[in-house]
Amino acid sequence: MRRQQIAKSSDPSAVAAVRVMRLYIVGGAPNSVQALANLERICQQHLKGNYQLEIVDVFEQPLRALADGVIVTPSLIKLSPLPATHIVGNLSDQHKVLVALGL
Amino acid sequence: MTTAYPVAKAETDRQEAEVAFAAFIRRLIQDASTLQAIDSGEVDAIIDPVSGRAILLPEARAALRQGAAPTNQMLATLSHEEYQRLLAAGLEPVTLAVGDILHEPGELIQQIYFPNAGLLVSLLTTVQNHMAFEIGLVGSEGMVGLPVAQGIDTASVRAVVQGAGTALRMESSRFREALETSPVLQRTLHRYTHALIAQITQTAACNRFHQVEARLARWLLMASDRLQSNPLRFTHEGLADLLGVRRVGITVAATALQQQKLIQYRRGNITILDRAGLEASACECYQKIKDTFDRA
Repeated sequence: MRRQQIAKSSDPSAVAAVRVMRLYIVGGAPNSVQALANLERICQQHLKGNYQLEIVDVFEQPLRALADGVIVTPSLIKLSPLPATHIVGNLSDQHKVLVALGL
Repeated sequence: MTTAYPVAKAETDRQEAEVAFAAFIRRLIQDASTLQAIDSGEVDAIIDPVSGRAILLPEARAALRQGAAPTNQMLATLSHEEYQRLLAAGLEPVTLAVGDILHEPGELIQQIYFPNAGLLVSLLTTVQNHMAFEIGLVGSEGMVGLPVAQGIDTASVRAVVQGAGTALRMESSRFREALETSPVLQRTLHRYTHALIAQITQTAACNRFHQVEARLARWLLMASDRLQSNPLRFTHEGLADLLGVRRVGITVAATALQQQKLIQYRRGNITILDRAGLEASACECYQKIKDTFDRA
């Protein structure tokens, strides 16, 4: 099995900055599973290892989610580079995710 | 301790509780894009800021209640012991994203896949090495890598993921060994092979004889049956490739279906508004394929 190749971002500086992200999920829940798969694919194709991703299960750490202003899962937060951005849902709209990540 | 969220007292209160829950969510969430994500079924849980507890939405709760049990209908025909034996022999869960290619024509089929509910895989035939159109759709009713069950190692079609989700996969050689000792799985595979051949045959006739609008309606119904979600997320380009027509053909057909208020098409999101109406607009192939699978 392999991931399909798609067009990469045309702006090389967009890839240079390390993206620090936090994904809030519920382990095993369908949208969370999809969000993780979609995000992994996007990272593989557009960030080439140039990112840090922390995955937080809100059943284990709900207060961390609230501290980040997260009230629903799955939610992805880009912490760095600033400005911080926030996207909700299963991340199947790749364009929306790329915009939120500043790519 | 009082809780800030509504709790059903009993099953009889279920409907009332769900209405109260929906109202509760709307009180909590003001942000339009978050509400939109909830309405499109893309949210699993909500965190109640008062109690600090995560509350599962009904669909996620139902999915998690099933636990590790597969939602693939072929694996569901196996007894618990047989399923455990397959797990011990190397059947393993995997998450797949849209665009993942499971095999290409002419390649060795390394792994076979049993999609769980929500995963959608297109079988595409390629012409002149670059043009491809769809000849079959596989969801949780089936399996990808069927030739392996017939002793064939090489793929004749491209299998590509159209709807992200999970599957159970197994190395082809191990699957073939496991199959030899499981008459139940053999019978299930024989029935599925028959249904898939019927689907491919019907699709071939459909591609030759039916108008794009009827074919698009048929495809959307088949995809929605397997994805079990609404809206569906597909671009005109993607649909044109799958149905082997030009993009403008899909645009015209989608506009016609939208004007009849059967679907709503907005920025790649296709919502089926009137399922019965869409079935009436689809060619006979939808019902024929569905009947074959229901009987198999």
